[in-house]
Amino acid sequence: MTSNKKNESTQHKNHFDCTDVEKYVQQYMDNVLDEEKKRLFEEHIEYCLPCDKKVEFERQFREIIRLKTKRLVPAEQINQKLKNLLKNIY
Amino acid sequence: MIIFCSNNSEEYVLVENRKKQTEFSKLIEPHLTSLYNTALRMTRNQHDAEDLLQDSLYKAYRSLDQFKKDTNFRAWIFRILVNTFITAYRKAVKQPQKISYDDLEEFFFFKRLDETASLQEMPKEEFLENLFDDDVKEALENLPYQFRLVVLLCDVEGFSYNEIAEIIDAPLGTVMSRLYRGRKLLQRYLWDYAKKRGYITDDFKQKK
Repeated sequence: MTSNKKNESTQHKNHFDCTDVEKYVQQYMDNVLDEEKKRLFEEHIEYCLPCDKKVEFERQFREIIRLKTKRLVPAEQINQKLKNLLKNIY
Repeated sequence: MIIFCSNNSEEYVLVENRKKQTEFSKLIEPHLTSLYNTALRMTRNQHDAEDLLQDSLYKAYRSLDQFKKDTNFRAWIFRILVNTFITAYRKAVKQPQKISYDDLEEFFFFKRLDETASLQEMPKEEFLENLFDDDVKEALENLPYQFRLVVLLCDVEGFSYNEIAEIIDAPLGTVMSRLYRGRKLLQRYLWDYAKKRGYITDDFKQKK
């Protein structure tokens, strides 16, 4: 199969398989998939438990990265310091 | 023609400066922590982060006239931070980084957990919760800066692809490919840390 043909077949897909989920998971989670792909993606994870679990894990992974990174700098502790920094530039 | 006597003119300048400072403080204060956080993850140490932030604030204040009212101040100020970072670390950031992208796959962390026999009984989410903040910090800080930057901007600061393209002055496609690779790399690094710290014993299931 040529790669061209492969691309075409992806474009006209009327269902997503597990490889499509891998391909589009980041865009799905960033909410940038077009309506059609989003529908196909959700349709797939609705009946495919392994994919659903992976996507859910991915969501939690990101959330934990976000929380842990934010927590590294406790806002209360540095607020005053940052305000002083700001004063220095005037 | 209006001629100010010197006293009045000085007073006028003072009042105008005050006004500008108040305006700038009001705009910037809600973003200080985010800016500092990003500066800290980019420079990797407190001292440099404070320098970077101070330089950026100074530049932003000086060029406040160029900021168009009612446009995206947050993106504008982050753009200044990123430019200041790149200028200051030009030498360091230009060094080519050798990374292998070969084994970068989607769901990397999930799949490795799945293959690890010693973790079969443990809910995968629990494993994530148990990672230390410092593991995340180290993994993030080890990402090459181009990747680290977009991951921080998107996943920690919540900027959209378009905003990031504006902030780092790169095409949308570049933003997306760095972001997707950066996230996958981060999972790989974090996995390596987990192994190094002994959270994971090398007890893998046979791959079918």
